[in-house]
Amino acid sequence: MLQIVDVSARYGKTQVLWDVDLVVNQGEIVALVGSNGSGKTTLLKAICGLLPLSSGRVEFLGRRIDGLPPHAVVDQGISQVPEGGRLFPDMSVRENLEMGAYPSQAWGRRKETLEKVFQVFPILKERQRQLAKTLSGGERQMLAMGRALMSGPRLCLLDEPSYGLAPLLIAEVFRIVRGLRDAGVTVLLIEQNVKHTLETADRAYVLESGRVSLEGKCCDLLQTDYVRKAYLGL
Amino acid sequence: METFLGVVIGGLLIGGLYALIAMGLSLQYGVARVLNVSHGEFIMLGALTTWSLYTAFHINPLLSLAVCGPAAFALGYVLHRTVYRRILATSPSPGVFESNSLLASFGLLFVIQNVALIAWGANTRGYSYLAVPVSLFGVLFGANQLLTLGCALVVGVAFYVFLARTRVGKAIRAAAQDSTSAALMGVNINSVLALCFGFGAALAAIAGMLISMCYPVTPVMGIPYTIIAMIVVVLGGLGSIPGSFLGGLVLGLIGSLVTYIEPSLTLVAYYLIFALLLLVKPTGIMGR
Repeated sequence: MLQIVDVSARYGKTQVLWDVDLVVNQGEIVALVGSNGSGKTTLLKAICGLLPLSSGRVEFLGRRIDGLPPHAVVDQGISQVPEGGRLFPDMSVRENLEMGAYPSQAWGRRKETLEKVFQVFPILKERQRQLAKTLSGGERQMLAMGRALMSGPRLCLLDEPSYGLAPLLIAEVFRIVRGLRDAGVTVLLIEQNVKHTLETADRAYVLESGRVSLEGKCCDLLQTDYVRKAYLGL
Repeated sequence: METFLGVVIGGLLIGGLYALIAMGLSLQYGVARVLNVSHGEFIMLGALTTWSLYTAFHINPLLSLAVCGPAAFALGYVLHRTVYRRILATSPSPGVFESNSLLASFGLLFVIQNVALIAWGANTRGYSYLAVPVSLFGVLFGANQLLTLGCALVVGVAFYVFLARTRVGKAIRAAAQDSTSAALMGVNINSVLALCFGFGAALAAIAGMLISMCYPVTPVMGIPYTIIAMIVVVLGGLGSIPGSFLGGLVLGLIGSLVTYIEPSLTLVAYYLIFALLLLVKPTGIMGR
């Protein structure tokens, strides 16, 4: 579904990604793990059109999407939960969700989609008239995830959805991520919470200093000494 | 009591115009991040065009709305698509964009002003439209002034509803709050910014049309209005369009009160408010 081939990217003169190859197949949860500064978020920016590639290509459903502006990437069926949620603080919960349905094909169906999202996140229905900035941390994350579903995406990119949340909420976030897959949405999950992530995803890529250092099925990765030592502290 | 009402209504009359002007600048500065120093020139263009249409073709000033509004919108839209978009694409950081676009708008100010001086000459112009006294709560006002306030309120409220209810309006507000996040929702940021610039110019031209009904107009009338718009935008809170509308009315009321006490201190009062605001509450009435 999503194919990233030989992608390199840089901020100014600093090269951040080096020949990254990554594949996400339809119906999978693919995880991208790695420490701070390993280039995870940069790769996400390269996929969604916020950062130009210096070489390589990104294909989605067989069509090249690198070089497209962000809004055109969204129109292809890729939505995103950006790092930190990035809600619209002075808009209501409902308006934030409506913004998620901005692409023209989703806008007409926004009322039905809204009901579906309210079923997944009942708390958002209760809070729908509140301004996004008045929500708690967990509610904000729910809203950011709900908003990403409003466009009816085929692929959802999640950037650290569990970051800064209490342990109980973290488990809830991962439960929702599995729910996305069950609902037919393919997921690319970026996380620092390696243990939870490897238990949730089907396959994973480990990014180190801008290069893919390890890839494979999560159940296999969980068994490797390297992952256990470096990321799980076992 | 009658004087009090007179001061309040007088303040609202001028405040309504300030509100429109500031809403326009708020779209350009608060959303598109262009501190458009040439904002007042669009007011001037609206005012002089209305004057020309009225004196040459006897076209009702209110009808010139149908000419000024769309023409100014198109001019603002094209300006963003050409000048400001190019500056945005070549600026390494938002700060550089703000200073470069400020300089560009300064240049634009002189270009527009001088073109207007060639087209209309330097004379002060004016016409008489509905200049009949109307008594309101025992105080006399010009019918044209009351009409001005009515129009300003209608346009202001209509624009607010547009922002609050429509898909494009919501995209504009979202872009004002977090433009990157809006882009990730599928909003074409470049076209939204150009729209904001166009709407800002249209609001300025509409305000100019209303101003020409009550006050004399010249090709150099723009700058004082630009300065007032900047004060109101800061007063109302940067990026808050309802804040700008409210701020305009508040500044009008303050101006009216100071004018009643000592007319020569009106501008001083505006600057004093501006300075105090920056010191005490730089985020403005409704700012974040």
